[in-house]
Amino acid sequence: MRTKRLSIGLGKTLAVAALLFWSLFPIAFIVMSSLKPGQEIFAVPPAYLFTPTFENYASLWNRWGSFFDGLLNSTIVTAGATALAVSASTCAGYVYSRNAGRFLNASVVFLIVVRLIPPIVVTLPLFPIINAMGLNDTHIVLIVLYATFFVSLGAILMRTFIDQIPRELDEAAQIDGAKPLTILLRVIVPLAAPGILAVAVFVVVFSWNEFLFAFIFTATKAKTTPLVISEMIGSIDGVDWGILFAASTVQLAPVLLFVVLMNRYLVAGLTAGATKG
Amino acid sequence: MRTKSLAQSLPLIAPVHMLILSVIVIPSAFVVWLSVTKSTFGQDPSFVGLENYIRVLSDPAFRRALWNTIVIVVCAVHIELAVGLLVALLFASGLWFRRFLLVAVLAPYAVSEVIAVVMWRFLFDPDAGPITLALKALGLPILDWSFEPTHAMVLIALLTIWLHLPFTFIILYAARLAIPSDLYEAARIDGATPFQAFRRVTFPLLGPAVMVALLFRYIFAFRIFSEVWLLTGGGPARSTEVVAVYLYQEAFSYNAFGSAAATAWIMVAASLVLASGYVFLLRKQVTGNAH
Amino acid sequence: MKNTSTLALTRRRFLGTTMGAAAVLASRPSWAAAKTLNVLSHKVHETVLGTGETDLLKNWKTANDAAVTFTTFDSNPLQDRLFREASLSETDYGVGFMVDNRPTAEIASLFEPLDEKLKSDPIEDFADIAPGLVQGMTINRKLIGIPVRHATQGLFYNEALLEEAGISAPPTTLEELVEQAKKLTFTSKAGTPVTGMILASDLAVFPVMFARAFGGDFITKDFALVPDPVAMEKALETLRAMFAAGALPRSYATTKNDDQVTWMQQGRAAFTVLPFARFAQLNNPDQSKYPGKIKAIEFPVSAALVGKTPMASVTEAWAMVIPKNTKDKALAWSFIKEVSSKRVTLGMALNGNGPVRVSTYADPALIQKSPVAAVEAKALATARATFPPFPEAARAQATMLEEVQLAVLGRKPVKEAVAAIIQRVKPLMPA
Repeated sequence: MRTKRLSIGLGKTLAVAALLFWSLFPIAFIVMSSLKPGQEIFAVPPAYLFTPTFENYASLWNRWGSFFDGLLNSTIVTAGATALAVSASTCAGYVYSRNAGRFLNASVVFLIVVRLIPPIVVTLPLFPIINAMGLNDTHIVLIVLYATFFVSLGAILMRTFIDQIPRELDEAAQIDGAKPLTILLRVIVPLAAPGILAVAVFVVVFSWNEFLFAFIFTATKAKTTPLVISEMIGSIDGVDWGILFAASTVQLAPVLLFVVLMNRYLVAGLTAGATKG
Repeated sequence: MRTKSLAQSLPLIAPVHMLILSVIVIPSAFVVWLSVTKSTFGQDPSFVGLENYIRVLSDPAFRRALWNTIVIVVCAVHIELAVGLLVALLFASGLWFRRFLLVAVLAPYAVSEVIAVVMWRFLFDPDAGPITLALKALGLPILDWSFEPTHAMVLIALLTIWLHLPFTFIILYAARLAIPSDLYEAARIDGATPFQAFRRVTFPLLGPAVMVALLFRYIFAFRIFSEVWLLTGGGPARSTEVVAVYLYQEAFSYNAFGSAAATAWIMVAASLVLASGYVFLLRKQVTGNAH
Repeated sequence: MKNTSTLALTRRRFLGTTMGAAAVLASRPSWAAAKTLNVLSHKVHETVLGTGETDLLKNWKTANDAAVTFTTFDSNPLQDRLFREASLSETDYGVGFMVDNRPTAEIASLFEPLDEKLKSDPIEDFADIAPGLVQGMTINRKLIGIPVRHATQGLFYNEALLEEAGISAPPTTLEELVEQAKKLTFTSKAGTPVTGMILASDLAVFPVMFARAFGGDFITKDFALVPDPVAMEKALETLRAMFAAGALPRSYATTKNDDQVTWMQQGRAAFTVLPFARFAQLNNPDQSKYPGKIKAIEFPVSAALVGKTPMASVTEAWAMVIPKNTKDKALAWSFIKEVSSKRVTLGMALNGNGPVRVSTYADPALIQKSPVAAVEAKALATARATFPPFPEAARAQATMLEEVQLAVLGRKPVKEAVAAIIQRVKPLMPA
């Protein structure tokens, strides 16, 4: 019995080690490379022991001011898109959870089917439209686009969360004469908070890393970090890999931190949502 | 009562639909028109009927791209599902430092595709990548991905699994946690082996979560782009090209907007067929199992 | 109820962040200048103009009371964005940078013809700007762009590695180059596996260089497709043999331009073909393990052609264009004039820009700063573009590269590959 438990323990340890290696090794490599002097990064064979240097971060700060503007733009766009996507999804999710009917079912199917259209497709016609509206190179465009491509998943996830909240609660409020929006804000939102945060995690990660739309609809004022990074990879003058990896580390850190802080809600929220599917 | 509630609920579902209509549906309608015309920069669209569709469908490069996409979708998504399920069960079986491990498993989700590809290219460099060297030192076969098309496909699949495993995992893990533990208690008392408990309890109850994960992963995997474009560029000799890369080339390298639009609609149709066929099959099986 | 407070706090924090960020944006120093010229370019076009105290356009900005805002992209996306902007009813961009293999008749129709402006408000010593480059920007007898930068391909080699292998002088013929590359496929003293030569497989530049070294070509400027199939076969045969011998990396089919630079800097390859302008980067002590050891020469021709036909190296040029739909064309032209002046051309050259003026190469400051200037000037004299612009050029290039890769990797006999290039590219050629 004891040997069996021991072997299970050993098996688990091995599985966990493999998992950690699989998930973290490439990321550790990025961070490690950002701390290496430029000519060591692609050295063959690679050096695992070296004296860390922050010179890449210093050069990033000195030479790529646009990267830090990009961080600011990314923050604004991500915050805006998350707020918009989460509020729109919560409203819709509430309706889908509390009402039924052919019309609403059709509208759910519509939300899913529409998502089959790849985002790249709509960029061709949207470019002149957005330009004519004078919205090119603004944060608003990206906020609206990112939110739109996440409200389908968001509304469906929110419906399953809200399904968990007993109907009696909002029915009681309804009898007290509260309007749907009031019920939503006062009763549903506080109870669905973990679910809302779970949806927020998806939107934040997507908006923070999105490239294609940012690339097509921004120029200077609303340029986000993935764009600046891709410019660093741009080829005429060669890539400074040290700076690139420093930038990648800086770009990665906030979302990673966000996922770390939110993982409790992510699991809690999705668990609540999953019981009913 | 119903009409009243519908009227009341309309303002609440309106934002979602307004966003989707204005950003996706209306522009898509324009793309339909674009797909039956021929145009490029400095040249106004002229109507050509179904020519673009015929041209794309009869292009051997497109058929190969479609086939590659289907292979990647079917392989990557299922392996990802299997691994995600195993990891979810591993977590559910009780682990030390679970919070830390959870974050570790989720971490790749936060990495942008561009950065991920740069790193993987170096790790698997066929001459000098640390992973290649390690495999060689252990006497194992290496991934000769820049020469052998099948190896390239394997690497693409691995990378896409690396990037998206967290998504599949978190949905399955959350669903697994939601299964009440007294069900397992009951199974144990009935003398069920762990495997039987998995077959009779875990698997059927995870069904809906599996469906959600699979459906969204099918949709997203079908438009796989960055992994291929940045890793192999569709090479060697266009042998790993996927539909999204074909579409990108038509639109942004060759500026042939008509055939790009046609490719887009063929892509939508193909993913619709694949996804719906799959959902149909799976639903049958899941409901069959539950009974 | 605990949930409520967390969420409320989060929401407030969100709002706070957004508003704070907006405030920061709004409080940034606004331009004091009365006018702003928006320029669409590659990052490198911006950097060579200098910043702050060394800003080459400082005086122009003061004199015109204008500010210049650059929007920068990587090469291909830059062209796409430029054409997209020029297709709108109106664009904010006054000046764009265009590469010389893009202006087809359709594209050219989106940009302002500059002949009139050149006559009424001429550029300083316009005849000094390389006529070949000006020719490349003249479409249907209309000049649409003023050349500003060029990049001519040269052969780079790592002197230290050559010495290690006992080779005292760089190759003078293509055959010698192949011989040396094979010899340099070895493990260096540093323990690094060295590959004789590294070439990217996603650019037509390299097979075209080899074809021209045998006196052939892919598409000539008169639109002759593979004028000398035998030369093309020899070129691919050579590349194939090098790959088979390991003198081209195993990863040839997925090698990109940037890999060429890192491999040379790391001493993983002994030879490569890159623009001369890369000299500084390859020898940059911050990135390179062989600073000062990487040298450049003109790409050698085949032994049979030595002394008879000079090498026609591949050259690429960038020009400044004015979209027809822009508002302030006078300001745009004034900017172009200033950037094309002798003073700014030299200033940019010292910052690493391939100068377009013949006289700049003779400048002592440049000769002292860039040891390859003389070699480059000589190569430029007989250099030509990879292929001329035509509507399906990008597709033709992709088709050719697919066949080249098949031949080099040994999946298709060279003869068949060359035949396939001719057969598949023919329908794409302009009528």
